[in-house]
Amino acid sequence: MKQNFAWMAFAGTLALAGAGTATAADVTIDDLMNDQATTDNVLTYGLGPRAQRFSPLDTLNRDNVKNLFPVWSFSFGGEKQRGQESQPLIHDGVMYVTGSYSRMWAIDIATGDELWQYDARLPEGILPCCDVINRGAAILGDKVFFGTLDAKIVALDKKTGKVIWRKTIGDYKAGYSYTAAPLIVPTEAHGPIIVTGNSGGEFGIVGAVEARNPDTGDLVWSRPTIEGHMGTLNGEESTMTGTRNETWAGDMWQNGGGATWLGGTYDPDVNLLFFGTGNPAPWNSYLRPGDNKWTASRIAINPENGEIEWGYQTTPHDGWDYDGVNEFIAFDMEKNGETIKAGATADRNGFFYVLDRTNGDFISGSPFVQNISWAKGIDENGRPIWDPANRPGNPAESADGKKGEAIFAVPSFLGGKNWMPMAYSNKTDLFYIPSNEWGMDIWNEPVTYKKGAAYLGAGFTIKPIFDDYIGSLKAMNPVTGKVKWEYRNKAPLWGGVLSTAGGLVFTGTPEGYLKAFDDETGEELWKFQTGTGIVSSPITWEQGGEQYVAIVTGWGGAVPLWGGEVAKVVSYLNQGGSVWVFKVPEQLASR
Amino acid sequence: MKRKGQGFKLFVLCISLGLSGVWSQASARDGELPPDPFRSVMWKSMADRFFPDGPIVFDGHVKVIAPASAEDQFHVPVTIDASGLDNVRQIVAVADLNPIPNILTVRPEQAVSFVGFRVKLQQSTPIHVGVQTNDGVWHMGGTYVDAAGGGCTAPAAMHATENWMDTLGLTKAVARRSDLEHARTTIKMRHPMDTGLAAGIPAFYLSNMTVTHPGGELIADVDLYEPISENPTLTLLPKMLDASSANLHVHARDTEGNEYDFDVLVPSSVE
Repeated sequence: MKQNFAWMAFAGTLALAGAGTATAADVTIDDLMNDQATTDNVLTYGLGPRAQRFSPLDTLNRDNVKNLFPVWSFSFGGEKQRGQESQPLIHDGVMYVTGSYSRMWAIDIATGDELWQYDARLPEGILPCCDVINRGAAILGDKVFFGTLDAKIVALDKKTGKVIWRKTIGDYKAGYSYTAAPLIVPTEAHGPIIVTGNSGGEFGIVGAVEARNPDTGDLVWSRPTIEGHMGTLNGEESTMTGTRNETWAGDMWQNGGGATWLGGTYDPDVNLLFFGTGNPAPWNSYLRPGDNKWTASRIAINPENGEIEWGYQTTPHDGWDYDGVNEFIAFDMEKNGETIKAGATADRNGFFYVLDRTNGDFISGSPFVQNISWAKGIDENGRPIWDPANRPGNPAESADGKKGEAIFAVPSFLGGKNWMPMAYSNKTDLFYIPSNEWGMDIWNEPVTYKKGAAYLGAGFTIKPIFDDYIGSLKAMNPVTGKVKWEYRNKAPLWGGVLSTAGGLVFTGTPEGYLKAFDDETGEELWKFQTGTGIVSSPITWEQGGEQYVAIVTGWGGAVPLWGGEVAKVVSYLNQGGSVWVFKVPEQLASR
Repeated sequence: MKRKGQGFKLFVLCISLGLSGVWSQASARDGELPPDPFRSVMWKSMADRFFPDGPIVFDGHVKVIAPASAEDQFHVPVTIDASGLDNVRQIVAVADLNPIPNILTVRPEQAVSFVGFRVKLQQSTPIHVGVQTNDGVWHMGGTYVDAAGGGCTAPAAMHATENWMDTLGLTKAVARRSDLEHARTTIKMRHPMDTGLAAGIPAFYLSNMTVTHPGGELIADVDLYEPISENPTLTLLPKMLDASSANLHVHARDTEGNEYDFDVLVPSSVE
């Protein structure tokens, strides 16, 4: 409490020093960079630009978590439910939360009362591949920002919810869409920039990372992820991504995929943006010989100019939709008495990678799900050791040329880990990975690109590997690559994770429970049934000396749309759309 | 019976008009309002919300022209003519019984206190227009329109087509000299003007329009609200600076932050 008070006084002085430009209730870029350390707010997606999803709060701990009760629940209302994958932001006693169908609300935390609601007016022809979800907002100055399903980014007045500006990220008719939370980072050349990716990898779009001026929405730079495409800086062409045709044959790079649909992270220490890139298009890998850079990769981008500083491809020449957008989390790793500036990512392909975040050098790659079949392992250079028997067959070699040989691959195309973000505890130095144990039958088919049409060239069906569970929350030691503990869940896990200095790990389940685990042992310490499935990321903050926890609920996302045989364990789950807020009631706090 | 009823109404109307003249002299909005000649059950609420602070006077200089019975509740033509008033700060129009009453606000800078538009009505309703002069006084006028129900809660007609967004903002504008000093300017724009009250369709409407002289001087600034009809049509009477032809500039913005900019050519008055 004392520490927190000191910080608030500091913030007060800052506001005074900058008088005339910002009022006390405005959010500064320094506030965003310090988000992880400041416990009375949640200003960024991931509780800090590194997105470690760790809170230094310990008011709530293993002993008193049993006394955690709901304070209020807020319904998103209307007939528009579907999947709710959003992480709320907290600032100055107000929660900013986004929901399905590109909606956003401001809620008074003290009362749970709505302050305003914004509904994007979406056109009829939007093409979201995997449910009408949104993952969250960004905040800076007097504005809140979020992306919409028709591939626009909107800046709203955070007091009124009125549109200040709205810009186009891509052509929704060509399959572009936007669902990730935008990222705001500082630059010397341009001041703060708001950085977005794009969605639409199933429609042959071209992945890109774009930076805009948060005051006007004007484009500062853009960086396509696919080799051969030109970037821009200050309205002019800058440099080409890679070298055309180096790892792509013919003109397949033109609709090469590599969507940056999960957004990115930022490390102020090395001043780099980290974006994951999605699968190459089409899925049928025989149509695009080569490594297909930078699809299924992590790329580090200089925020000053949009240049790619390094790239690391987790699945070169992907043939399984190992859509490697997964978040790359910067952390300092103590190994053999040294501190390594590392970063970690748990890929769709089932391997947990640790890289040197300054240059992308491979440090380790360890399986975090069981029975991986597409690769026998990762070699010392960080390249997968493919198992040729487990790549779907070439349809051109089949008798009728229409369907290649089907194979069974693990993990499934929905991944060892999908979009749901893991957490890195600064207390235990463990990563808590929400993973799934499943495989798929997959086969390839011929396909040609057509604007706005699905561009896959594959058929598939998902199958669980074990009879009794699919979901698996794992505590991963990044130094050893070993799993310390595991919590098994019948339905696939599809929600993010939060760890706290109070020794707690929070995550939600499709069955509707928000759960808290002991961060050392995995023992389940608390759960609450929210009434619909959870596929979102929990947050925690402190207000009036009390620690709060919040989670958005509402079953949906990609699993019910694509789930194959998995549908058996999820088909009974009901939709919803609300946000729940919890704390320890006053009368129990002293116990 | 019918005739008798009408006669009675007329009688009451005359009395209340007479009263309003007396009361407005005495009251300065200390809670006392002049009675409403249209006998709206919403009158006090409308006056408090949309015509606050200044004294209210029912004034024959504020003419509100609309059909007594609307043929189409989605497109009810209304003309407000307060050209007899000088020093006008703003013109505020409301439909008392609409779920969203405020229709529009016009701040004429270099324009006659005149505006024409079309409005959606949810049911038969009084329309009140307050013209506030620079001394703070609200000069009131109004009319009563009989209308079939549902004008504000049905989806816009353009939503019957999937590609309605392709023509969003498409504009037709025409200006002609009504006399030497004025150019009657009509602007019609493709826009659904969604009220947010039709099931599953969020509010999405043109919210502001400014008209300026070629040199940038403001002619009029208009705030529009949800009840303005789909494909809004707005008629203004700009005061022209001289007799030569001129391109008036129109800038408009909707609630999604879309901006629309175009010019309207006013022909020379000497041709």
